[in-house]
Amino acid sequence: MKSQQAANRPDNTAFTQQRLPAWQPMLSAHFVIPGFLLIGMAFIGIGVALYITSQNIQVLEKDYTGTGQYTACSECADMQTIPCICNVTFSLTTLFTGPVFLYYGLSNYYQNYRKYQVSRDDVQLWGDVTKSPADACAPYQYIDNKPIAPCGSIANSMFNDTFSLYQIINGTMKLVPLDGKGIAWWTDYNIKFRNPSAQGSLQDAFNGTMKPVNWSKPAYELNPSDMNDNGFLNQDFLVWMRTAALPDFQKLYRRITSGDYALGLPPGDYVLQIEYNYAVKDFGRKKVVFSNVTWMGGKNEFLGVAYIVVGSLCLVMSVVMLVVYAKYKFADENA
Amino acid sequence: MEDLSWEVRANNRLFHRKQRRRSCLCLHRGRYSDNVIRSYKYSALTFLPLSLFEQFQRIANIYFLCIVVLQSIPAISTLPWYTTMIPLLTVLSVRGFKDLADDLARRHSDSQINRQPCDLLTNEGFTSVQWKDVCVGDVLRLHKDQTVPADLLLLTTTEPHSLCYIETSDIDGETNLKIRQALAVTHQELSQVWCEEPNSHLHSFKGVLEWRDMRHLLDTGHILLRGTVLRNTRVAYGLTIYTGLDSKILQNCGQTAVKTTQVERTLNKVVVGIVLLVLLFALLLAVGAGIFEARVAPGIEALAELGGRYTPVYKVFLTFWGYIILLSPSMPMSLYITFELVHVIHSLFIGWDLDLYDGGVDVPAHARSTTLNEELGQVRYLLSDKTGTLTENRLIFRQCCVAGVLYGLLAVSCPPHSSPPLDLSWNPFSCGGLQFSDKRLVDTLRKPGSPDVREFFKALALCHTVMAEWKDGAPVYQAASPDEETLVGAARELGWVFLSRTRDSMTLSELGHRRQYQLLALLDFTSQRRRMSVLGKPGELKLYCKGADIVILERLRKDSTYCESTEKALEVFSQGCLRTLCVAVRSVQEGLWEEWSRALELAAMTTGASDDLYDNMERELTLLGVTAIEDQLQVGVPETIATLRQAGIKVWVLTGDKKETAVNVGFACRLLDPGTRLLQGEELRSGLKTHGRAHECREGHLALTLADILILRARSKRHILYKGWTGNQSKHTTSSTPPPSLQVEFEEQPELGKRFIALSRQCQAVLCCRTTPSQKAGVVQLIRKYTSSITMAIGDGANDVNMIKTAHIGVGLNGLEGGQAVQNADFSLAKFHFLRKLLLVHGRWSYRRISVFLRYFLYKTSSFAFVHVWFAFCNGFSGQPMYETWFITLYTVLYTSFPVQCLLPSLSWQDVSAEGSLRWPSLYQLGVGRQLFNPRLLAGTFLYSIYTSLVLFFLPLSVFCFSAIDFQTFSITVLILQTGYWTMFNVAAIVFSMSMYFLATLILHSPLLHTIAPADFYFLGTRRFLAAWHLTAPSLTGPHSVSNQGTSCIRRHL
Repeated sequence: MKSQQAANRPDNTAFTQQRLPAWQPMLSAHFVIPGFLLIGMAFIGIGVALYITSQNIQVLEKDYTGTGQYTACSECADMQTIPCICNVTFSLTTLFTGPVFLYYGLSNYYQNYRKYQVSRDDVQLWGDVTKSPADACAPYQYIDNKPIAPCGSIANSMFNDTFSLYQIINGTMKLVPLDGKGIAWWTDYNIKFRNPSAQGSLQDAFNGTMKPVNWSKPAYELNPSDMNDNGFLNQDFLVWMRTAALPDFQKLYRRITSGDYALGLPPGDYVLQIEYNYAVKDFGRKKVVFSNVTWMGGKNEFLGVAYIVVGSLCLVMSVVMLVVYAKYKFADENA
Repeated sequence: MEDLSWEVRANNRLFHRKQRRRSCLCLHRGRYSDNVIRSYKYSALTFLPLSLFEQFQRIANIYFLCIVVLQSIPAISTLPWYTTMIPLLTVLSVRGFKDLADDLARRHSDSQINRQPCDLLTNEGFTSVQWKDVCVGDVLRLHKDQTVPADLLLLTTTEPHSLCYIETSDIDGETNLKIRQALAVTHQELSQVWCEEPNSHLHSFKGVLEWRDMRHLLDTGHILLRGTVLRNTRVAYGLTIYTGLDSKILQNCGQTAVKTTQVERTLNKVVVGIVLLVLLFALLLAVGAGIFEARVAPGIEALAELGGRYTPVYKVFLTFWGYIILLSPSMPMSLYITFELVHVIHSLFIGWDLDLYDGGVDVPAHARSTTLNEELGQVRYLLSDKTGTLTENRLIFRQCCVAGVLYGLLAVSCPPHSSPPLDLSWNPFSCGGLQFSDKRLVDTLRKPGSPDVREFFKALALCHTVMAEWKDGAPVYQAASPDEETLVGAARELGWVFLSRTRDSMTLSELGHRRQYQLLALLDFTSQRRRMSVLGKPGELKLYCKGADIVILERLRKDSTYCESTEKALEVFSQGCLRTLCVAVRSVQEGLWEEWSRALELAAMTTGASDDLYDNMERELTLLGVTAIEDQLQVGVPETIATLRQAGIKVWVLTGDKKETAVNVGFACRLLDPGTRLLQGEELRSGLKTHGRAHECREGHLALTLADILILRARSKRHILYKGWTGNQSKHTTSSTPPPSLQVEFEEQPELGKRFIALSRQCQAVLCCRTTPSQKAGVVQLIRKYTSSITMAIGDGANDVNMIKTAHIGVGLNGLEGGQAVQNADFSLAKFHFLRKLLLVHGRWSYRRISVFLRYFLYKTSSFAFVHVWFAFCNGFSGQPMYETWFITLYTVLYTSFPVQCLLPSLSWQDVSAEGSLRWPSLYQLGVGRQLFNPRLLAGTFLYSIYTSLVLFFLPLSVFCFSAIDFQTFSITVLILQTGYWTMFNVAAIVFSMSMYFLATLILHSPLLHTIAPADFYFLGTRRFLAAWHLTAPSLTGPHSVSNQGTSCIRRHL
């Protein structure tokens, strides 16, 4: 109870008196120098582990633009004959440990260009082809007043080279099975994208729409071998629609997981047969990439190097601080 | 008389109602406002437009409004509209709700005031009405302890002579009772009153009462102001003159100028700088876009068709605006509101501090202005009043000198209670409390035939404005100034007892004999006149005058006796730090009096300037004696001043006292060290001269204006400076021109003031003596003009108000001299020594916290936005945002700014505890030198944020080929390392903020939202990706910050 006389007396609590229990780390030399030493060593440890892991990842890249210093597929580079089939051969001397991932890579391709990124209609891709496509799709919105499905520049510019891989065993070509299932993101396949529903076939659902200008086949015929891999839920389409953040990028094409190649690609000669449809020579290059992955993901030397550099800096700092500290301490004792 | 144009007709409601003031928007019609108080700003209709109008006066808000408008143009909208709209709406609505709550509270208090009851005279007698129904011309009845509802002309009261007593503590904070008396003619009836138009002068009033063809003058003594309280009077009747907004108190409620701090001004410049920077970057990026559109885009089929059929130049134009939108998050939008909140809470902390609470008078410290906290940590000049600020203003009558004889012993030579107290049992009115032990005085007094001494005490008992209240058979004195109370009290103890006063008489008991004196005139005290007089008729007509020694001494008769011995006594007194007053008398001829009073009446009617007339009367005086009052130093003053000096604060003392007194107080409160040398007079003049090369022709003027400036010089380079204006004033008062004020002189001689300040920088302290209130303010202005340092003025009385208002920070002490200083101050304290904690602890913390808070804020927003600049090089300058839009939206509002991260560290962070801050005052110098928030550091912050954004962009660029969001973790990591002072609130804050981020990301990336609005929530499925990144990001960025902290700590440690 406050007496009447001291009615204005402030409350004596830890908060009002700013005396909350607090821990104030004193960054003294005794604390900081060993701390830096520890952090530095830990970082160098992590960095070395990352670097070694990254070194163990096998990567095989083949540029097949057909122009410039790489001559593979040069016969197709002028885009005169369509379809144009070309072969890229390579040989492995050691086992390419599985599972092996096959990527295609494009460079100088500005998928992150703003107008390009928004040139799609998420409502349409969610299965509603009856509505008119979003304005953002322009100029790939209508053909002859019929809506394009899928509309927009992203879909229109879908990568359409196809690859098949053969191992040459005693002069015969043995097909390496490529697995195209489950290469898209789970959320894309299950939530973000839906096929339009209608009575009857998928073709009926796309009735009244036009295929994109650059496509040779309509959306419902993207994968003739698997009926369920068509329309907006085609795996290659889903991969393409997830646009890259940087101008040079790789996208997953297939995985090699089954048959004789489940453990990887054994040593030997291989032929990659490419159906060359996609023109890039005006702006950049394209390539195929074989790679395997580890716990840290794909090959990335930078991460390991970064850890090692930061860790070394910490060590250097701790030594510098130790020297400075010792000098002053020494001076103090002399004084 | 033409200026008395305000007509009041008694009890004529019809007449006044017709001319009621009505206003519609800005148009006003009619003259008399009603008595309703409307302090609220908004009505239901005007709230939205007015509140928005006020908020959009902030440049940052305007900026964001422009951004929102730009965003709604599809062609250039790089970010969806909600990214700016949601933060803007949040800021606007928080502010709007605060204004609304304030306004509702004002409405509530308004209606409470308006509904107070009062008694109104109607045809049926007095009926009770509410305040809001009172109208000009109404006759009101007031009871004891009632508050006056409007400005009233006192008509009559139930007390004898129609006296009434009022308390004006709500108006000027003075708690002593004041007397008001009605004109004799108004006791029965009245018709019409003419007075001046409503104005804000609280202490003047002019009016004429017309009744039966007679004109009766009205002045402030007949007026009861709204807000005063009736005391000791059963019933009073009054005629309403000014109501509502016309009343004096409300005319006084002007808008006070809002002081802004240096940090805030720097901040505003930074905001403008950010806008310019954004424009520059947008321009450069737009040029880049032009090159890309012309060279690269046509080659890529997928992109070539996209831009539409526009020319590249037009596309560049669109890109420019697109980037302005994209870079807009670099503007710290919620900064201002957070800044305000931090300020308010810091102010609350000051009020909550028990160390700043004075249990004796039950007054806590109070931050009246909530915007100046960080400036408390940067004060370089402390300008202090002496009386009541450094000293207690609890006065003790120590000595007196009557007819050349010195009575009483020096306080220093006789410690209190060493000699037996005087035996005053012969005096029935004695209440004790007199610390005066010179028996000679009492003997002389009681011995018949010592007219000088008796006349001296009679003068003390008569010449004052004290009110006597009788309690338990003894008079209790209530005085406006403590000097008077002490002197009248001393006279009472010694047998000259002031018993009571009426409007025109005073009753004394002189050594037991009761005598009544007719009171003819009271020439009141002002700080300009520095004296007061009473014209009384104790048998013959006599003028008793009491005032400062220089004022009285120059008004003495030529043939005055005891002049020399009195001057010697004055010297002795001032060396003992005593406050002196001279008492003098003059016999006035009846004829002279009549002539003079007529002239006074005339002057009051016409000009109101009666000072010259007063001057004429107060001359040819005969000196009676000198009183010496001791004013003890407040507790802890010497220690406080010593600490403040160690903290690098220059303490200046500005006082109206003589220089000897000031010097002695200076030594007593350790402002001056025993070894210091004073620089004064000629020496100061030469000091000023050597500092700059004064031209020969100016020297004459120099000598004239600085005739009495004194300085002392200490060891080598340390000086003390004194200024006195004695010589100056006495020279000038003989001529009719008023003494030129300080600032006028320094304005005439700008280089003089500059040199003076330059000289004072090398001085240990500066004392300015004999200063008037306006000169005090002039000194502050001088410092503000020639230095960029923060000044703080502290004072307790009405004479310090000017200085308090002029300084960057004004501090008022809840002293004995009324509350005017406090009411005009930014901070109020109960004791001077509280200043130590206010400055060294609260000020230092506030400055540190706010500086760090602002720098963190700018860092966080700018590094956030810079990332887009780097990203532009990778996406063809197309204005693609790097973060997901919802992240941008919530980043400033939810994740980083408002709730916790900035706020809590800026509230609870302490680098050094309160005790430590007080023990090492030199820590304060960091703020004085503005070392925590200056352009150089801000530039560093920007460089750091650029570096951060580079790290933020290029690390993920190299690590992953795709990255969406990682900034939040980084900013938290940095914050954790910067905090360095952990309370449970901080931990909770960071945990909360982190979890808010993950929660919000989970929600925003959830499939559900996508099914609702596919277009707005297209980023989904990235969270697993994010989680992985969050684990790696801190580990990479952390060491860098650790090393930053580590090096700075080591530096400090060593």
